[in-house]
This record gives sequence, C-alpha cells and structure tokens, in this order.
Amino acid sequence: MDKDLIARGVKRCSPRQFGMWLAPWVALFVFGLYSAGLCLAKGLNQTNMDNRFVFGLWIFLDLAIIALGAGAFFTAFLLYVLKVEELRAVINSAVVIGFVCYSGAVAVLLVDVGQPLRSWFTFWYPNVHSMLTEVTFCISCYLLVLAIEYLPIVLRNRRLRDVPGFLVFEHELHKLVYVLAGVGTFLSFFHQGSLGGLYGVLRGRPFAFREGLALWPSTFFLFILSAAAVGPSFILLTTWLAEKISGKRLVRRRVFDVLARISGLLLAVYVAAKALDTLVWINRTSPEAGFPAAQYYSWRPFGTWILFAEIVLFGLVPAVMLLVPRVRARTGWLVAAAAMACFGVVLNRFVMTIQTLAVPTLSFDPFLSYYPSWQEVGTFLAVIAFGVLVYSISFRYLRLFPEEREVRQISFFTTETRRHGENPKNFSVSPCLRGE
Amino acid sequence: MNARYGMFIDIDRCTGCGACMVACAVENNIPPLPAATDRKGVTWIRVYRIGNGQRSAFVPVMCQHCGQNAPCVHVCPQQAVDVDPATGIVGQMPQRCLGCRYCMAACPYHARYFNWWDPVWPRGMEQTLNPDAAPRMRGVVEKCNFCQGRLHRAKESGGQFVPACVEACPAQAIEFVDLHQSPPPANSFRLLEKLGTDPKTYYHSKRDWVREIANAPGPGGAPGAGKENRRG
Amino acid sequence: MFPWNYGFHWTAATVIFLGAFYAVLAAVAATLLAAALRSRRDVRAHAVEEIRWQSDFDSLPARDRLCRHAITGELAGRECPNGFDCRTCETHTRLATAAVLAATRSIPAMREKPEVEIYGMNYPVDRLYHRGHTWVHPASDGTLTVGIDDLGRRLLGGADAIDFPQRGARLRANGPVFTLRRGSVRVRVLSPVDGEVVGAHFSGPAWFLKVKPLNGGFDLRHLLSGPEIKPWVAHEIERLQLALAGDAALPTLADGGIPVDDIAAACPGADWDAVCGVMFLDG
Repeated sequence: MDKDLIARGVKRCSPRQFGMWLAPWVALFVFGLYSAGLCLAKGLNQTNMDNRFVFGLWIFLDLAIIALGAGAFFTAFLLYVLKVEELRAVINSAVVIGFVCYSGAVAVLLVDVGQPLRSWFTFWYPNVHSMLTEVTFCISCYLLVLAIEYLPIVLRNRRLRDVPGFLVFEHELHKLVYVLAGVGTFLSFFHQGSLGGLYGVLRGRPFAFREGLALWPSTFFLFILSAAAVGPSFILLTTWLAEKISGKRLVRRRVFDVLARISGLLLAVYVAAKALDTLVWINRTSPEAGFPAAQYYSWRPFGTWILFAEIVLFGLVPAVMLLVPRVRARTGWLVAAAAMACFGVVLNRFVMTIQTLAVPTLSFDPFLSYYPSWQEVGTFLAVIAFGVLVYSISFRYLRLFPEEREVRQISFFTTETRRHGENPKNFSVSPCLRGE
Repeated sequence: MNARYGMFIDIDRCTGCGACMVACAVENNIPPLPAATDRKGVTWIRVYRIGNGQRSAFVPVMCQHCGQNAPCVHVCPQQAVDVDPATGIVGQMPQRCLGCRYCMAACPYHARYFNWWDPVWPRGMEQTLNPDAAPRMRGVVEKCNFCQGRLHRAKESGGQFVPACVEACPAQAIEFVDLHQSPPPANSFRLLEKLGTDPKTYYHSKRDWVREIANAPGPGGAPGAGKENRRG
Repeated sequence: MFPWNYGFHWTAATVIFLGAFYAVLAAVAATLLAAALRSRRDVRAHAVEEIRWQSDFDSLPARDRLCRHAITGELAGRECPNGFDCRTCETHTRLATAAVLAATRSIPAMREKPEVEIYGMNYPVDRLYHRGHTWVHPASDGTLTVGIDDLGRRLLGGADAIDFPQRGARLRANGPVFTLRRGSVRVRVLSPVDGEVVGAHFSGPAWFLKVKPLNGGFDLRHLLSGPEIKPWVAHEIERLQLALAGDAALPTLADGGIPVDDIAAACPGADWDAVCGVMFLDG
C-alpha cells in the first residue's frame, strides 16, 4: 500500500522508519496545537507580549519565514518567466516550502490577532492606505496561489494519477502554471514589500521610520530585495538538508551553483542598498525626527555590533562567498554561506520587529525587554513541526525533485567510474551521458 | 458643532496622586483585571514620574489626539481608527478592531491599550458601571477618547462637557479646551513634536529641567533618563 | 470591498487597490476554470491516455528522450520533441528520405546489414519495433500482429498475469495495450500502433494481438526497422544497465554478454518496478 504511493524509481525508507522520523514532530505539533489552543481559548494573556511589546516572537518569525519562503515565488519567477531551466529540479520543493511557510505564517497570525473571528473585517472594510491591508490581501491571495500550485504536485502522485480526472486536470493546470507564477510574483512583490513598509511607515517609531521612494518607504524595496536574495539560498539549504537527512543525491550540483549565484548577486545588491539606506537614515531621517541614531545603540544588548552583524558579517561576507566560484565549488562553504545569508535576513527581521519595539520613544520612558512565554514558543514550534511534517510526507509520496531518479543513476555511474578508473569495463558510455 | 478639542496639562501642578487614572477607569468601565501587570493593564491615562536626581515631577500621558495625520489612523487595516473632523478626537472603534495591535506599535506615546483579558467585574460591582460607556471585549485595542459618553450626553443636551480626569484632578492640572477658542499658552510644548504628529495635548512647566527631560532629543537624551524615570 | 460597505470611499487609492485585488482573483479563478474546462474537454474526447503519455514522456530524463536518428548516429544528441511519434516529425521525414536516397553512403548504421540476433536476443528483421519494446508484424490480410519484443520478454520473465485489451478495443499509439503483472510490479506496455483489436492469440508461452486498422491502413513511420534496430537495442541495454546500476552491482552485461532469459530472477536486489518503468516507458 505504502509502496504503491511512492514514485517509481526512487528509494524511500521503510514505513516503520518513516513513522519513527515523524513521531517526534507529531508530538511537537500536538504540543504546539495545545499552546495555540490555550492562546485562542484564554486569550493573548497567555503570551508575554504587553502593551509596549505588542509584537513578539510570532511576528518576528512570521516575517522571517515569509522572507525565507520567498524562494517559492522567486524560483517560479526565474523558471517560468525568465526560463532558468536548471531550477525545474527544485521548483516542486520550492512550492512546498513556500506553501509550508505561508500557511504556517497565516496560522500564527490568526492566533496572534486578538479577535481571529474578525479577520474578514480587513477584507470587508479595507483601509487601502494601511500596509497591513496590503499584507493581508497579498498574503492570503498568495497562499491561495501556492495551494493551487501545490495541487498539481499532489495530483502527480503515482496512485492519484491513475484517476483520469486528476491526471488530466494536473496536466491542464500545469500548462497554465506560468499565469500563477506571474500572479504569485506580483503578489509576493507587494507583500514582501509591504511587510517592510509595515515598519518603514511608522512615523512614531524613528528607529523604523524610513523616507519614501515614490509611495513606499525604502524598507519596502529592501524587504523585496532581501527576500528575493535569500529565497534561493533557503531553497539551497533545504535541498541540502533533504539530501543529508534522506541520504540521497536529489539534484545535480549545477542547480546549487545556479541558486548560489543568483542569491549571491542579489544579496550583494541588497547589502549595498541596505548600507546606503542606513547611512541616509543615520545622517538625515533619524536626526530630523529628533532622534540621534547613536541612541538606538546605547541600549544593551542592542549595540552597534548588531548593525555590523546584519550588514557585514551576515550580508557582505556570504554575498562574497556565494559570488566567488572557488568558494562556491565546495559544498561545505556553499551551504555555510547560504545559511549565513538566511541568518542575516532573519536578523534583519528581528531588528525591525524587536528592536523597534524595545527602543523607547518618550524620553522619560524606560527601555523594556521581552522574553516569549512557553505558549508562544509552543505555538511557533507547531508551525515548524507542521512544516517538517508536510514536507516529509510530500518528499516521500510526491516528486519534489524530478531529477532524483536520474541523479541516482548518474551518481552511481560516477562513483563506479572513479572506482574502476577511466572506463569501467561493464559500461559503454553513450554520448548523451558524458558531460553530466 | 465644529471644535478642535485638546488639553493643557500643567506639569508643575500635578502631584502624581493618580485621581485622574481612577476617575478615567470608573468613567470608561475599565475592568479591574486582577492578573494584570503594569505592562499588561489598561489605563487610558498614565502618570509618569520624572526626576533630575533631586526633584521629581509627574507627567500624565493619555492619547495625545494627534492631527489629521495621526500615526495610528492610516496603519489600521480596517478603518477602526479615525480622526473626527468635527471634534478633532482620534476615535477608536472597538467593535471593528481586529486586535492586530499595529496601531499600538505605531503610537509613539504608548497611549493605546490592548485587552489581554476578558473584562470581568467582581460580583455586585457591575452595578457601578457607567451606562454611557460600552465595555470592550477581550482582544481589542482601546484608548482615551476624551470621554465619548460625556461628549454624547453634551451633544444631546446641548451643554458643555469635560472628561472625567479633568473633573477629578484635585490640583486642576488638566484643562480641557477647544483649541479653536483657546490657543495654547506661551511656553507650552507638545511631546515628541519633531515627529510631526501634531498632537492636541499641550504641556506646560516653568521648571527648566522638566522641560529639558520632556523635550529631550529622544530617549536617553537626558543623562540617566532611562534609569531615573519610572512609570506612574 | 464593495461600495455599499460602511467606510467605502471612491478614491483613486481604493480603485487601484481593489482593482488589483479583483484582477488577481479573476486571474486565479480564470486559470482554475480554464484548467477545469479543458480537463472536461479532454476526458470527453478520450484524450486521457494521450495526455498520460505526453506527461510521462515529458518527465523522462533527457537521455531517454533521445531521437531515433541520434541513436543511429545520424544526428548528435537530438532530443525527440514529438513524444516518439515520428509520423508528424519533419526531421524524420527528411532523414528517412535522405537515408533511402543515400543508402550506400557512409551513415554507419545504414551500411550495416540488419541482423536477426542482437546481443543474443532475437530481433527478426521482418518486424517493426516500438520504443516501448513491442513489435509489429504486418500480415498479408491487412491486419497487424503486435507482440512484446525479446528484451521486453526477458525483463518481465514469466509475468504472473497479463491483461489483454478486449476484442474491439481501440488502441492508440503510445497508449496502453497490455498490462503485465509480476509480483507487486505492474507495468503498462505501450501500444505501437493505432488500431482496433481483433483478437489475441496464444501459442505456448508466446502471445500476441491481432490488430486491424481504424480507417484505411496503418501508418508505421514511427516504428524502428532494419538497420536502426541494432543501435537501438544497444542503447536500450545501456539504459537497462543504468537502471539496474542504481541498486546493486549486478551480474550485468559484460561486453558481449547476453541478457539472461529472466533478468528479474537474476537480479533479485534490483528495484524491479523502477527498472520496468524505465524500460517500458511507463512513468
């Protein structure tokens, strides 16, 4: 039964082993659901957020996973619009990652708002000038798009494909996927931007406030750029992790190289833009609002080190690493650079959320700190567990990496070649195989 | 009626007694919230203590009722916050609030409060509730609205009104005014004026050090301000 | 959201914002609807098997989509763009004509004499072969005999069960013709031709189908014949080796070796389901 669901020609562990891998995640998920249930039933007093720290762990991690999940839209954009064919090898995985990230983020947002049952108010009475309206509309639409993009991947399952209706629908839907990729890019562009704009427009929070280019503050563009830069890195990282955990080669090395190059290039542009933006903010925006920028960094532990870490250590350094072919050629360095890039953007989301709220504005107000409660941590762990579960199950039963079967044979072939020297006697090499 | 309501607060007169906070809570049906901490409680007006090492002063801070470009208004995703053009009052509609708390993040005065708990009054105490103010439910944001209940009463009867805190202040430190008729007194200042929020609450103090701290260029601008000053 | 909602203002921002929102919804809904309508059309037009083949073919690795003229060495590394249906292929028409004209010229595959025995397997030259390991033999009465070729037979060894199409069933080239079962492995074998089944014949362990043309005659231009067969079988043996290689170092086909009669029984460690999927072009 289980075997019938697994795609032809790929190796998967035994159902028992798979069950053992899932068990701790299911436990974590259940614990997280309990935490979230407490927050929903008893109210947000279960969290350590307060009237000053109105956003906490949840919003920070939402922003982080939405940035990391940008790999889905950006990969789809590169593949279907710019025709970077190498990325076909990871597109399905990217869609699942995106779906997991966005559905998790939306679920946490629903716990995070005080009146989840009123969520539809935003759609019914939208304030079109609010960045949060833009975010709400775009994220929910994009989640819909991701779900529709996920659908053909599910319908391609070996058994589901035997149902003629599913087979045909999958085929027809896949033919139109470029429309969805285009819509997804449009939506992602705006909500990644609006998430940045969310903070950039806060005139009352000079730490976050940025001057505008056209309609939007500079953070709008920086968030788009950073999300697009880090998305491919995160795809690289998750693919590498999937390879490590499953013990299989899933894509050709060339795919990693393409992802790393794209990520490195965009990250370099982002770092330059971010540095420029920071300079403008320190020298003009912040002083004009009456706040010398040096003050923000006088509150421990938020020293200037955080600025250095964000822009140089986890920005410039991984960008250079990803761009230098010699560094990129070694998987260890490549993965380290991708992880650093991801961490840098996560740090940026942390700074924009937590430091913005921690720094007081009233001159006689104290600096406050905040630690999440176990219910907050638990709720978030549920999202992580949900993500791992969905991804694991998808990985087992769906073809997340279309090249897997091919790569498996090639990798065997290359190891054999190495073992036997130039030309293993058991193999005659056909011309189409060389150069892989 | 076309007014531009605002407040003049004389810091030199404020003794920090907290009568305004109590009167406000009673007038606006703010529940007792026994489990609330200083950071999670609801108090539409908060009296901050500031000091220069030798002397203390008290600064009552409520919603400053910013101008048309109030930072909280344009961030609300569902138009639950507005500035009434007829009164200049920044209004909050708890019935429409989703509880996303974006407005709270946007407010530089920290004058907005979230209902972290269900409002519960001890047995019998519900008798003391003010019928002119609707209690708010858990999970929505609320804030000073210049005693909306009193405003409605005054509208109906055609009379004048003052918010509860103004009425309760034994030192008459708070004055409720229509800024169309009474321009702000000389030497008065507004909090965080450089942010461009155009608040309608004016503060006044003759003491230099008080003005210095209150107008310090940002947090920590006054030496040791973060350590010295505590919230009321 | 709508003009009649409280708080709605006809401002430029509202119009742009909601306009974009409705445009997105419309695009998504139109995509879904178009996919659904086209699916209904396909199902009604009985195009399901055609689509299954198209989708299977698209998901084949590039080296498995190799054009028949690349296998013979006439073209370098060309991938087939037509789902192995050469009947509509201009390149094939051109090359086939050229091959007839220059049969004696130096295209290596064309110069060789067709052999009946290839790597110890039986590939009679009076038959035409399909890429999915079936053969076709034209009979004098205008019908065709369809069977499974020798490599295919050796791959499946003794199948436990064979599902034959019923009399009168319509076959489509690259659609399913037989389904073979052996243990848990289930393989669909692709039909080499379009036609109508007239009957199944058994003679000992061998079995085949009789097929008559749907209208007029058969178009068999997409099938491999004559000197093409040997390079193709060589190519298939390479593919088989690669497919087997993923799992275990096997008693594979050393140079000049002959595939054993029942390859599955000889390679118990192999993922037989996957190997058959690869060799019979069944996704």
